[in-house]
Amino acid sequence: MRNHAIHALLLLVALAAVLSAPAVRPLRADEKEKPAPLKLKVGDTAPDFTLKYFDGAKLQDVSLHEFRGKKNVVVAFFVFAFTGG
Amino acid sequence: MRNLQANYKKLEEADTQVVGVSMDSPFANKAFGDSLNVTFPIASDWFDEGATTKAYGLWDPKYKAARRATFLVGKDGKIEEIQADREAVDPTKIVTACERKKKG
Repeated sequence: MRNHAIHALLLLVALAAVLSAPAVRPLRADEKEKPAPLKLKVGDTAPDFTLKYFDGAKLQDVSLHEFRGKKNVVVAFFVFAFTGG
Repeated sequence: MRNLQANYKKLEEADTQVVGVSMDSPFANKAFGDSLNVTFPIASDWFDEGATTKAYGLWDPKYKAARRATFLVGKDGKIEEIQADREAVDPTKIVTACERKKKG
């Protein structure tokens, strides 16, 4: 009788493990690679910005509009300092 | 950043300024830039709590961080190329576009 109870319990534990597995399963690569569409598209006017950067001595401003009519600008957003790319 | 720096000369010759943007402090960015010998400014979107990152639609609330993306902005202020997420690590498409513009 007691054995039955233990078996039933083990079965329940095993069942719970199987059922909860999909929830904790790590995302497959193709699921991760489903980026949301970007808000901006080619042809849009790039939002202007004025931001600070440190030139080694003091904080300086850099803005998008200062290059208007003079230079193309590559604006490279990255996640945080010390990340790849 | 490293890949952009590697192409910096090409970009400069094609009349193109590189500006990095991250949500870290200017000092962290400078240390990061120095570690890669980056010679362009890495601007900080930290003081305005990511206002620029949000304006470009790159704020990811899930990770509380910016998505990686590179925009090529023409002299007229219009976006000419976009590379997002994993694609943004390799700037070849943008470098080629700049060089093409220069020639054209």
